Amino acid sequence: MKILAVDDDPIILELLTQFVSALEGHTVVTAESAMEALERLKDPAVGEFDCFLLDIQMPKMDGITLAGRIRETVRYADTPILMLTAMSDKRYIDAAFAAGATDYVTKPFDPLELKARINLVDGLVKARQARTRKIFATKTLSPQVTPLEKGVELHEPISIFDVENVIDFTAMENYVQQLSRGSLFGSTCFAFSIREVGQFHGSLSSFEFYSLISDVAEVISDALSDHQYLMAYAGNGTFVCVTESGWRPEMTRLMDGINLSLARTELFDNNGASLKPRVSAGEAVRLIWKSGQSILDALGHAHASAEKACKDFENAQNDFWYLGRSA
Amino acid sequence: MTMMHNPPLMPGIEAIQHRFVTLLEERQGIIAQHALNAWEGETVEQVNSNLASAQATLHQIAGSAGSLGFGELGTCARNCEIEIIAHLDGPDADLAICPGELMHHLDLFISDCRTLIDTYDMPVAQPGMATAV
Repeated sequence: MKILAVDDDPIILELLTQFVSALEGHTVVTAESAMEALERLKDPAVGEFDCFLLDIQMPKMDGITLAGRIRETVRYADTPILMLTAMSDKRYIDAAFAAGATDYVTKPFDPLELKARINLVDGLVKARQARTRKIFATKTLSPQVTPLEKGVELHEPISIFDVENVIDFTAMENYVQQLSRGSLFGSTCFAFSIREVGQFHGSLSSFEFYSLISDVAEVISDALSDHQYLMAYAGNGTFVCVTESGWRPEMTRLMDGINLSLARTELFDNNGASLKPRVSAGEAVRLIWKSGQSILDALGHAHASAEKACKDFENAQNDFWYLGRSA
Repeated sequence: MTMMHNPPLMPGIEAIQHRFVTLLEERQGIIAQHALNAWEGETVEQVNSNLASAQATLHQIAGSAGSLGFGELGTCARNCEIEIIAHLDGPDADLAICPGELMHHLDLFISDCRTLIDTYDMPVAQPGMATAV
């Protein structure tokens, strides 16, 4: 991986260079300010980066703003960003995730932790390179698609860009695990699933399916805009959300509002056929008194309950004609 | 306080330790100057801006000292940083007051810096070693 490390402390940059050079297969380019980093990104001679390490607290432009600026560029819309934070920066972590950070590493560095995070990111970069190739291969080669270039899988947690408060699913998992006990007290996770998503996935090209997911994300994001939340697409038509504000979402009302907005939004496939996606809502799961794996389990429960609500809805539709009849 | 030097954490780190200690000479001077300016400040702006500047330098020391085997100094810098943040976010932030206890802790930190600088054995320069600023 080619990594751009940005920190106003030259000692940290030397340390990172030293750490990363000890790991095989990675190179580090450094910048002592956000402005210098943006110059590096513009410089064609420097080439593309596979990962960013950004300090949060920097004078003039901080790492959170820089993360947002990096995310605005098409080339780096889903490139992993690891924030470098001190414990005293914890108050900025939420903003960093909302700006597009993938994960964070605390200073002072623990070499083993840093190594583990960089290896994780390396795996993420390789998986994304394969996925991006698939999306764009189907976009250009369609309609004669070879089996190898069949496109994104239904269960893949695709990255969604340019939708407010939508972050990557990996970042969401990292985010919930860092929530402090105090934050967990007022935190709730919940999810929405697109009904009959398998049919959409089967009938649309990868690019059309991706566009549909982005459009539904936008509608959900608008419906939640009065509240503090983060959302991620977890795959299989399911969007997982977390709110920390103490807000207890009324799922049925939210679902109705989202479906009303979807009904008012005109969505079409490439052939001009109208698409009518609707969502089902799962349970709102409170995160209070949970920690570690049980937080991820709660996220999984919210996710599964939304998919179950979809199945129940579909079954209810199919069983409608049998209501009131006996065998 | 006796400043202990922890063993190097990984090969090649000695050069960065050396640079850190050299830079610490300058940084502790910056912190001392800002602390003094805050103590003698007569307006809220003078007190708070100097404390914020001291905090920025403490933040840098706290971020790297622990990775270089100077964990105790890093913790001390972090505690002073947290104390400044608490003051700047606290109810006295709109008063031209620099808390005496904070000044005492900054004084201890600067004294720790001096001890480390004075007792650190500067390595003999070797080919490839980073040049001190």
